[in-house]
Amino acid sequence: MIKTVLKLPSARIALVMLAFIAFITVFGPLLAPYDPLENTAQNLAAPSAAHWFGTDYLGRDVLSRILAGAPLSVASTVLVAGIALVVGAIPGILSVYATAVFEWISLRVVDTFIALPFLVFAVAMTALLGNGMVQAMIAVGLLVSPLFYRVARSATLSVARSQYVEAAVLAGATTGWIVRTHVWSKVLPPIAISLATTLGVGLVVISSLQFLGIGVQPPTPTWGGILASDLGYLPQQPYAPLFPTALILVTVLAFNLLADAIRDAAGESGRSLVGAKAAKANRARRLAASGYSLTPSKEHA
Amino acid sequence: MPEITETGERAPALAVAGLNVDFGRGRSRKRVIDEVSFEIAPGEAVGVIGETGSGKSTIARSVLGLVRPAAGSSVRVAGREVTGLSARELRAHRRTGLVQYVFQDPQRSLDQDLTVGHSVAEPLLLQGVLGRAEIRDAVRREFEEVQLDPALAGRFPAELSGGQRQRVAIARALITKPRLLILDEPVSALDSANRVKILELLARLRSSQVALLFISHDLGSVAGVTERTLVLYRGQLVESGATAQIVNAPEHPYTRLLVGSAPTLSAGSIDRVRRNELRDELHPAG
Repeated sequence: MIKTVLKLPSARIALVMLAFIAFITVFGPLLAPYDPLENTAQNLAAPSAAHWFGTDYLGRDVLSRILAGAPLSVASTVLVAGIALVVGAIPGILSVYATAVFEWISLRVVDTFIALPFLVFAVAMTALLGNGMVQAMIAVGLLVSPLFYRVARSATLSVARSQYVEAAVLAGATTGWIVRTHVWSKVLPPIAISLATTLGVGLVVISSLQFLGIGVQPPTPTWGGILASDLGYLPQQPYAPLFPTALILVTVLAFNLLADAIRDAAGESGRSLVGAKAAKANRARRLAASGYSLTPSKEHA
Repeated sequence: MPEITETGERAPALAVAGLNVDFGRGRSRKRVIDEVSFEIAPGEAVGVIGETGSGKSTIARSVLGLVRPAAGSSVRVAGREVTGLSARELRAHRRTGLVQYVFQDPQRSLDQDLTVGHSVAEPLLLQGVLGRAEIRDAVRREFEEVQLDPALAGRFPAELSGGQRQRVAIARALITKPRLLILDEPVSALDSANRVKILELLARLRSSQVALLFISHDLGSVAGVTERTLVLYRGQLVESGATAQIVNAPEHPYTRLLVGSAPTLSAGSIDRVRRNELRDELHPAG
């Protein structure tokens, strides 16, 4: 599966983008040229050699704040996706094989999460557990988990009643064997797609929560927080939101590209697609070796 | 394994006695199998025919433990009573591979994400007795047994034809050396050329001491493979006897109707002869 995904150019592009995001997540605080919390007299300064992205309304270096905010921003979205995955996907698979009581209860809990208004629930959670990053992540993770539950349950249901699973049961397979051998490979692609989508969505949602003052509190730098403060000074610095937005955009785009690649590479259609691409590449190589080209040359055009 | 009876005789591959199966609960309860009894000797090929909904597959599923029979029913496989087994006992019984099942549609009965070699190896992997190399050898032997190129083991089901897929399904069923092979409409999803090849393969299996329970609504297919036939009508066994007798001199009115309705009634005996003639014409000796 991973090899098949990596054969797709879109997946390789997504991984390069994610490698860049991972690099600034790990080394961002070390690469920051200034202290991200240090105020200076140069409020709202334009980009210059000293401050590549300019300064914000308190005179803090924007580049330093973006680099220093990377670990918290990325870690929070990974945490959201992780919570949603564990809380959603595992019960989703178990609901098919566990008792009817578990199935009924889990379905009702998921229905409840779907019905809850997002912002009200996030505010209530932070009011109940305190206003911190982890509390906000738990709230968002729980609210995103129904997506994983539905996807995992739906994929498992379609497999659980298939004849090849029945054949495995007749050969003496346990539920664990069936899940590992037959179910997991069918459930993994849609879950991976949901995970990649959630990582992208999570970053935007976390940013929007920070925008509302829920989760990470100022002056701790995060991409969402920087974006929120930049939006207050649009008349002075109309370009300022572009910097954090670009990073959020790159991250979301990379995860979505990866999700699309996983979808394209999954199952029989994925094998066919990759096989067709490999055949086309081989044909092009053979033609090139024999002096022909698949694309018309300038002379013929 | 109690394969030898108290009198020292080899136990039947399958002995079904007073089998009753009910579907539904309370007022909606309906008896779908009613007092069905029959035996299959080791190496014997028995056909079960009847129209759709007559209960053919339900009998098979009862033997396999996928359907729980009503109290008082008895299903003995190679001398061992299998009704009333706990889930753990049933799993252990299934891992012995004494009974195997071939589904109607090989496209649906093979996991599309596993190579066909992996699917064939699965029963042995579950038994956990043989090592990887031994399992690979067993898979290769079984591919040869069903006249498939062992090199196909690395392919996915979608890369094989319908007939090849059904051969793979049969190889998966045979790899545990079963005493009883249940085939549920094994050729109905195939085109006529592949149907003939699979029927020939099954006829060849009869020499390997595997008892066959061949379920079909197609009397021609049953006649080509089995020596004894059971006729099922609305969950009841209405007639049983030698296949030739069922085909040529049916006694029960339903059997007469079934035989009379078959568009290829003569396929069992005459078509096989005709088939051989055609093959001789196609590949003349010398």
